[in-house]
Amino acid sequence: MNRVISREFSSAVSWRDYLELTKPRVVMLLMLTAIVGMFMSTPGMVPLDVLVLGSIGMAFAMGAAAAVNHVVDQRIDSVMARTENRPVAKGKISPQKAILFAATLSVASMFILSFFINSLTAFLTLFGIVGYAFIYTMYLKRATPQNIVIGGLAGAIPPLLGWTAVTNSIDPHALLLVLIVFVWTPPHFWALAIHRRDDYAKAGIPMLPVTHGIDYTKSAVLYYTILMALCTLLPYLTGMSGLIYLAVTLVLNAIFLYYAVRLKFAPTPGIAMKTFGYSIVYLMCLFIVLLVDHYFTITLTAQ
Amino acid sequence: MWLKRLSIIAVVLALCVVALGAYTRLKDAGLGCPDWPGCYGHLVVPKSSEAVSNANAAYPERPLEAHKAWPEMIHRYFASTLGLVIFSILFLSFKARKSNPQLPIKTPLALAILVVFQGLLGMWTVTLGLFPTVVMAHLLGGFTTLCLLFLLAVRLHSSPDPVQNSGQGKPNMALRFGILGIFILAFQIALGGWTAANYAATVCSDLPICQSGWQQHVNFEEAFKFWGHGIDDYEYATHLGADAKITIHVAHRVGAIITTLYLGSLFIWLLTRNGISSTIRQAAVAALAVLVLQIALGITNVVMNLPLLVAVAHNGVAAILMMSLIFLNLSLYRSGGIKP
Repeated sequence: MNRVISREFSSAVSWRDYLELTKPRVVMLLMLTAIVGMFMSTPGMVPLDVLVLGSIGMAFAMGAAAAVNHVVDQRIDSVMARTENRPVAKGKISPQKAILFAATLSVASMFILSFFINSLTAFLTLFGIVGYAFIYTMYLKRATPQNIVIGGLAGAIPPLLGWTAVTNSIDPHALLLVLIVFVWTPPHFWALAIHRRDDYAKAGIPMLPVTHGIDYTKSAVLYYTILMALCTLLPYLTGMSGLIYLAVTLVLNAIFLYYAVRLKFAPTPGIAMKTFGYSIVYLMCLFIVLLVDHYFTITLTAQ
Repeated sequence: MWLKRLSIIAVVLALCVVALGAYTRLKDAGLGCPDWPGCYGHLVVPKSSEAVSNANAAYPERPLEAHKAWPEMIHRYFASTLGLVIFSILFLSFKARKSNPQLPIKTPLALAILVVFQGLLGMWTVTLGLFPTVVMAHLLGGFTTLCLLFLLAVRLHSSPDPVQNSGQGKPNMALRFGILGIFILAFQIALGGWTAANYAATVCSDLPICQSGWQQHVNFEEAFKFWGHGIDDYEYATHLGADAKITIHVAHRVGAIITTLYLGSLFIWLLTRNGISSTIRQAAVAALAVLVLQIALGITNVVMNLPLLVAVAHNGVAAILMMSLIFLNLSLYRSGGIKP
């Protein structure tokens, strides 16, 4: 396949390339949602062993899924400007080595989660790996413009993993956190896809802006942002979170809506990328404030 | 008891200060006195011809216009009186708590801090040449002061909050929807303040959103730029293009539709529930009436091109709507929610 390229670039392979293979920035955001999920599941402190071992187990799984994604998307990655420097696409790490690396991480993850945490969490984590690395990357991504909507479920599962790691049961509130990440994914990803439309078209990936046009995608971003804004009120309305959460979330949502409306009605150069950048800040702040609110609940609402 | 009486006086006074503030803005009198705290260096608006010529010599770019200086000064007199009243309330609260430690102290303390900050915002409004962000913050600070005073007065005039023990672990859904309503209304009031501070109230004279084709005239970047303009006089918002003003106005209209739908459904939903107490029912009816009045005033502003009195009333009734919503929420809080 890319033998020529791989020979040219396969200079010294460092641990940094393997780290890059795990998409550390994405994993960090997902781990934030997972760890917040752990803390939200209990009024007190998360047991230290669950916090440490659970986090390692989940992070390994996410890293493994990301490595599989690098291997499967090798061809696509090498033609897209955003991803052409990925270690497998560039030939720094051979697909075989990457697969071996991913398999090692997955086995270690399953071992840690099933022996030290619980089998429910291990099973759900496996579902996440399969969902992202196989169903999304190998099939959905190439099959339908709804790829990231359906595949988003795999990316939305970490808060549930965190929760079940502590409680060993699926709580409706945990599903609420999954729902939030799930409805956040389309506006987040489509904002990027608008910016990278030509890249995706070149790689033959049926992303929404490629199949249905940029204008349609912008409308979809706006609708999903509204849906997301409504969903993020549920933690307050169901009594899981309090006033700190409500106040901060309303501001975060107002800013996201502002970006989405601007993107649709009064676009300026680079606005799609700014929307994408903000969506990351949004999710981080939202989960941090969930955590803060959890421990500093204002008692005005009494219950 | 003086504390109770004073709390009522303070609410009425604060409502006057808010309305006078709106009047000052709408008369374009915010820079009626270009200095602070005095007016052209005087305690009252200069009147004698000698004082007037001195004033005009000191501020050649802004000669004295008595009909603009007076609204500004009256607003300042009322506001400083309110400040004194609030500090008296704080003092009396400290004293009265020696015999009755149940009395609220956090609210008077917050009010004292807030009113000082409001004074500063009032000063910056003048010294920064009606910088819109400061003008809007000054309006929001005024509304917050009024609402906290109202909350304090209600609490002082009723028995202490009963202990909450109904429905343990079950959230008080009605209250949570009500508090969400407070945030939505606060946001809409901020948009209204932004519309006023940027002289955007008259750019759209059609209902429900704006003149047809407004979609081609939006400029969010300019409309919601909160700092960094680098100019020192913002009167009449000449730094903004028509598109930016249209965007600001449209935001307030869209906000009005959302707020009306949300609050209207909330009040009607509460009224159709079984088992709500008469206090909640009355509060919901009152809030609904104020909401209808506020929409009528808003529409009148659009149709009649912002008559001064209607515009001031639209501001004042916004404050009353917020207070009625707060009262409704307090009733919901005390009842522990709606019994199924």
